[in-house]
Parts: sequence; C-alpha cells; structure tokens
Amino acid sequence: MIAVPAFVADYQVSIDAELRRLVPDSGATVQRAMAYTLLAPSKRVRPVLTLLSAEICGGRRAPALAASAAIELVHAASLILDDLPSMDDAPLRRGRPANHKEFGEAVAILAAFALLNLAFGTVAKAYDPAVASKMSAVLSDAVGTEGLVGGQAGDLLAAGQPIEFEMLERIHRGKTGSLFVAAAVAGGLVGGGHADAIASLSAYAKNLGLAFQIIDDLLDVEGDPAQTGKAVRADARRTTFVSFSGVEGARQLAAELCETADRALRPFGRRADQLRELSAFVAGRSI
Amino acid sequence: MTRDTRDGRVDDLRRQLRSLGYLDAGVDRFVLGSARGARGPSTIAALASVRVGLLAAVLLGPAAAVGIASRLPGLVTGPRDAVVVALYLGLIFGLAAIAFTFVVSTLAARLADGDVRRTRWISRGAGTLVTAGCLTYLTLWWRSANAGLAWSAPVWTLFAIGVAVAISLLLGHAVSITAFAVMTARARSSGGPDADGVSPTDATSRSTWRLVLLAGVVAFAGAAALLVLTAPASGVPGDRPPLAVVSPGLRVKVIAIDGFDPDVFESLRATGAVPALAQLLSGGGARFFPDQTRDPARAWSTIATGQSPDIHGVRGLETRRVAGLQGALMPGSGGLARALNGTTDLVRLTRPSTASGAELRTKPFWEVAADAGMRAAVVNWWATWPAIGTGASGPLVISDRATLRLERGGALDAEIAPKELYDRLRVEWRVLTQEAAQTAGTPLFHAADPEASVVLRRSAELDALQIALSRRLPEKPDLIAVYLPGLDVVQHTLLGAGGSAASTISARLDNIRSYYRYLDLLLADFTRSSPGEIVIVVTQPGRLASAARGIFAVTGVVAAPAVNVEARAVDVAPTILHVLGLPVSRELSGNAITGLFLPSFMARFPVRDVPTYGARPAGLSTGRGDALDAAALERLRSLGYVR
Repeated sequence: MIAVPAFVADYQVSIDAELRRLVPDSGATVQRAMAYTLLAPSKRVRPVLTLLSAEICGGRRAPALAASAAIELVHAASLILDDLPSMDDAPLRRGRPANHKEFGEAVAILAAFALLNLAFGTVAKAYDPAVASKMSAVLSDAVGTEGLVGGQAGDLLAAGQPIEFEMLERIHRGKTGSLFVAAAVAGGLVGGGHADAIASLSAYAKNLGLAFQIIDDLLDVEGDPAQTGKAVRADARRTTFVSFSGVEGARQLAAELCETADRALRPFGRRADQLRELSAFVAGRSI
Repeated sequence: MTRDTRDGRVDDLRRQLRSLGYLDAGVDRFVLGSARGARGPSTIAALASVRVGLLAAVLLGPAAAVGIASRLPGLVTGPRDAVVVALYLGLIFGLAAIAFTFVVSTLAARLADGDVRRTRWISRGAGTLVTAGCLTYLTLWWRSANAGLAWSAPVWTLFAIGVAVAISLLLGHAVSITAFAVMTARARSSGGPDADGVSPTDATSRSTWRLVLLAGVVAFAGAAALLVLTAPASGVPGDRPPLAVVSPGLRVKVIAIDGFDPDVFESLRATGAVPALAQLLSGGGARFFPDQTRDPARAWSTIATGQSPDIHGVRGLETRRVAGLQGALMPGSGGLARALNGTTDLVRLTRPSTASGAELRTKPFWEVAADAGMRAAVVNWWATWPAIGTGASGPLVISDRATLRLERGGALDAEIAPKELYDRLRVEWRVLTQEAAQTAGTPLFHAADPEASVVLRRSAELDALQIALSRRLPEKPDLIAVYLPGLDVVQHTLLGAGGSAASTISARLDNIRSYYRYLDLLLADFTRSSPGEIVIVVTQPGRLASAARGIFAVTGVVAAPAVNVEARAVDVAPTILHVLGLPVSRELSGNAITGLFLPSFMARFPVRDVPTYGARPAGLSTGRGDALDAAALERLRSLGYVR
C-alpha cells in the first residue's frame, strides 16, 4: 500500500480549515448533521485535486480554496444521500455510522440539500460572475443526470440484476468520474487555465476517476474494513468492475488508467508532479 | 508498470474503455479541447472546426505545395518558396477544412436527431468521407508530382502512401469526433434521448496535444522529405547525359528578328534596299506558323527549346509574383483570371512580373550545346534571366535583363553569366552605349512625326546594343544566338494603336521600311559569313495580328540553295543542334529540317538521336530579381509589351 503523499497533508489542513469555516460543527441539528459527514476524517482527494489543478494552471491556493470546498460539499451531500435506506442503505461511512443512522433520515436529507446549496452559494460568493457562472455549470453537470444523480439512478436500477459493461461504466462515471472531472476543471478555471490545459486536466481526472472506482471495487472484494471504513463485500450482490475483469484484470486496468492519466499531464511537464503522485497514490492505495 | 495479460476479458474491456474515451491519448483532446465547456452545438462545431482546420493546414499544406510546384513550374524556386507556398496552401486547406467540418458536423447533428445508433454511424460516415476524399487527393497528388516515377521507386511510393494514409485517417478521425460531439450536444440541448450515456464530455477528454503535434511534425517532415527527394533529378552534375558530338567544324550564328513581315521584306528586296538581309534569306528556307497568342516570351521560348509551351513552361510574358515567393505564377488569360489577378494585385497578394528562365523547364539549344562542351552564347533572348550558373562549361548568357544591370551597375543578380563577363562589359559600358547611339543615329530615319522618330531611335539603339554586346564576347563561340526586338517594337508602337489617318499610317509604314534598311546595315557586317560559319535567321511576325509566317533560313557552305519547305517553330532548335553536330533528343517535339542542307552534308552528317538532353537544372540560380523587377516591368511597359 502506498501512503498518502506527504504534500497532501498540507493541502488537507487548508481544506479542512475552509470546510470548518463554512460549516462549523455546532448550532442547529441540521448544521451538525452537515458537519458530521463533511468534517469526518477523509483523504480529501477531490478538493486536493482542485487545488493542484489550480496551481499548475498558474493560480494560487487561497483563491482556489472556495472551489475545492464546493467540490467536497457536493461530495459529502452525495455520500449522505447514497447511504439512505431508500438508496444503498449503508450503515457505515468513513468508519462511523452513516448520517441517517446518527441524525435520522429526514435530517440527513435536509443536511444533504443544505450542503449542495452551500456549494453553489460558496462559488457564487467567492468568484467574479464569469468564473462563478462557469463553475456553477461544472457543478451542475457533476450533480445532474449526467453526473451523481444519473449514476446513482443507474446504480439503483441495476441493483440485483446483471448489467452490461457500458452501463457499469456509466454508473461509475456518474457516481465518481463526474466529480473528479469537475474537481479538476474547477481548479483549472480558478487557476486561469486555457482550454487545452483544462482539457488535459479533464482527461487526467476522467481516467483517474475510473481507476479510483475500480480500486474501490477491489477494496470491496479484498480490502481491510479497518482501512476502508466500509463493510467488505457490501457490493457482493452488485455487478462491479471485478465481475467483468477478475481481480488481476481490474488491477491491471486500474494501473493502465492511472498511466493514461499521467500521460494527459505531459503538457504541464514537471509542474504536474504532485498530480502524478496523487494518481500513484490512487493506483496503489489498496494494492 | 503495465503487465501484459493473456486474459481475453481484459483485452475486451480495454477495447470498450477506449471506445468510451478512456486509455486514449490521441488527437481528440486537441480537436475538442477548445470546445470544452461550450454548450451550444453550433459553438462546439465552430470551435472544433477551427482545430480541424489547423490540423488540415499543417498536414495538407506541405503535401499540396509539392503537387503545385510540379504543376506550376517556376513557382517554387527553392526551399524558401516551398515553405511559403506550403503556408499559403495550408491557409487555404485550413479554411476549407474549417468550413467543411462545420457544415458536415452541423448537418450530421440534424440528421442524427438524437438517435444513438444514427449518431455513431453518421459521425463515422463523416469521418470516412473525409478520409476517403483526403486519401484520393493525396494519391492523385503523388501521381501528379511524380509522373514517370511512381512504382519504379517503390520504397518512396510506399512511404508516400503511408504518409497519405496517416494524414487522411487523422483528419477523418478529427471530423468524426467533431461530428459526434456536435450531435450529442444537440441531443442534450434538445432534450432528446441521451446518447446512450455518451455526452460531449466523452469526446472532449481524450489524448494529448503533444502526440498530435508530433504526428503533424512527422507528416510535415515526411512531405518535406518527399519534396526534396522525389523532385526530378535535376540540377545535379550527373544529370547531363553524355552527348557525342560529331562536329562538322562549323560555327553557328543565330539572328532572331521579331516583327519581321516577309511581304514588306520582299518589296524592299525587289528594290535592292536590303542587300544583306536578301543575302541571308537568299537560299529560301523554311516557313512556319507563328504562335497564335503573339506572346513573345512564349513564342521565342518554343523556338529556343523545340518544345511546345505546355512542355517548356513559359506560357506567357505576364506572370504574377506571389507575396513572399521568389518564383512566379503563370496566370490564366480569361476574364475571370484577369479579374482575380486584379483583385490579388490590389490587396498586394500578388504583383505583376514577367516570364523568366525560372519557368523554363526544358533546355534551350544554347544550354544543350554548352552541355556538350561547346562554347555557346545567347544575347537578349526572352526568358534568359536568371542566367543559370552551370559552371565553367555553361553558356555565356547576356540575359534579357542584362542592359538594365549594365546601366545601373551594382551587384550582379544573375543578369549575366559568368560574372567575369559582367565585369568586363561593365567597364566597356560607356563605349558600348556610345557605339550603339552612333549606329542608331543613321540618316535613314527622317521621320517628321516626333513619336515615330523617338521610337525608331530607341529601337535602333536597342538592337545596336545587342549586336555590340555580341561582339564583346570573349573568343569566338561555336554558337551565338542574338535576339533583336527593335523591329517588333517599332511596328507595334507605330501601327499597334490603330485609328490614325491614312496619311499618318502611310508615313509610319515608310518609317517601318526604313527600319528594315537599318537592320540590313546593322547585320551586314555582323553576319558576314566566313568559311566555317553558318548564319541562321529566324523571324516571327511579332505582336501585330497578321497572316505573316515565320522564316527559318540558313546561309553558309552547307546550306541548300533555293529551298522552300514547311516547318514548325519547334523544328528550329533541333535543326540548329544538328548543324552543330549534336544528336537530337527524342523528347523534343520538333525534328531537324534536313531539307535546308546540302545532300552531301546530310550524307556525311546524318541526324542522330539521343533519348534525352536531361532535365533543365532548376534552383541553381542565385537570381532574386527584387531589385530590377520593377525596372524590368517598366521597361517592358514602355516598349508596349505589358499593359
């Protein structure tokens, strides 16, 4: 297993501080429910991706923090909704009881909507209208029927029945890939990256996102619950990437996807080394 | 590190992932990168089309430059011209590709109307269409650029086809993904059925621009290498095939008189007014139909090379220089072409210029003679600038721009070859011009009309200068060819305008007759035949429309008396070469006119032939012409050659 890259810790501190500023762990129940999932221990892969993308496009970290926070807010909202009894009915999340187990289903739903709303509000307040408008569109795509919602809908419809590979890819792309891509593109936009740079980041994130999901599938098969924070074989009834490729094939394709992601970074040269470390971490986090 | 696997399932998944936009680092991201984030199908179509245009420009520009260079001789005179032409053509192909891609992708989106299956088929169809069209064009280009080579050089042909295939596939793929992205964007914007999970995002996130750039560079280098390596093997020392000379021991003097009307000459001969000319044409000779266009550069290049204009390449006096190019373009002569020329001149994309030796693809007779080791010289013939420096054995060339250079001095720009000759003539220039002025100051001209007087005097000086220059050549060449424009200038200026009163025309006809008498005096001494010398007179009726024919007459010890044969303009060059003892190339359009010579001469020196004289060296000239272009054009304009 490859450890989280050392540089990530520094970014995590900045991101956590921003998230705490936006959602203090106090006050009303809904706000505490928001903070419960948002501030739970996490590697913050997506918001780190946003910050790194902004920096290699020439931007600074501080202005990009709001964008990275928005990405994590959307991610936290999706986790709460995914775990609901009407969805995946997951008891554990990030090593703790799922949000609805702690606060009840109604509050969990409200917390998820509040997180989503806060994501768009954060972007709108932090950036000038041109950037905020583009970023809102990126977030909207990531959440919508081509993104998290579409992916989750496909996942629910496919539950308990065999699905084609294209359908599986669509689910993965919606549930994971779309937010990875949004994270990278949002960073590129905040960093002032030109269209080609953003396209390169998008390609990186798309391949990395699928690799991330494949490895999630692998972790489900042979991961350590103490490390993953999830019950092993929680997806046993579902078709996963491993169902199509086998364990070895999934590992190999995940590695190839990470290599492709790295190749997409060539236009940035050495500036993208930290993104390469991030993909190396993703590729090796369970293998 | 990627590990290989024999698991067929993984291979299948890998293939499927590629089709879904993963594991790919091709051209897609370059093409669709700028369209990322765009919402409207039209915006995506426009932005992606620009990228496809860029690819087309880089890939097709150099290839098209090779083709056009072979089709339009004289346009590309060196690597710099090739690059500039490639840029121009790249721009044209780029714009065309932008328009085509935009239209095709927009139409395809309308056709697909959100249907997934149709979306995929139509985008592939659009790409295939472009690939096929592109490959067809490039294959035809290869055939055109390498006529006579093709599969006799299989390695290069395979290489060229490989490059063509790569370019075609790449452009086809670019158009295909553009159409696909536009179609899926349209499906989304119209709320139609989602393209089976495939969104524009899929199409906008593939591959690296560096690979595209690399492919472009490789294709460019491939086309450039082809340009150099598949060019006709000309301009190299080994290009001169050995020409076996069976010399009769004769020196040949060729006098080319433009604007010569046999009827006027006959009337003067009857009165004994032109004894020298009468002597030169006493043996009769061959008659030929002149070039119907009356274009002097075209007609006299035909005579010099023994080839038709389509083969020798000088199709007209007026050419266009394209901005940034050293070479010239032969424009069409139709109304549309004239309008186009006017427009491109107006925007300074082109500028008028005149035919030059750069357009001449086949060797004129003096270059063939020089190739055979003879001392050959040419004075003032059309399209002799730039004088090609083919080394010590090359001909002595006093080109049609030589007098301009001698007048102005300064660094030689291929107006005269070799340079030592220029240095010598430059020293003698004042004497030469005085001599010419003195000769032209003949009492033969007593025109009352001031305009006629000026034209007569100026033309006379011009012709006298050519003769004077011919006399200053070092040693006695085996072959000298001198072109005299004076009579044509006089005739064209005095009679070309038309509309004058009968009395004026009569006076001007008298002036023209006086010029024949002047020519007679001018040539009397210069053409005095000595033993071992042949004088050949070639005339054409010049630019005035008339039914007069050209004359090709031979005088000297081997000339047959009182012959009158039919010939063609292309027969002149092989006849001159034959009398010099050279074989006649089977590539020439004309034949040696044996009837002009004594049977005994022909019996001793029958016509021999060789397969070829070799290609004319191209690109060896250092002539740029910039300095004298405007002056040369102005002089031709003042002489009535150019409007």
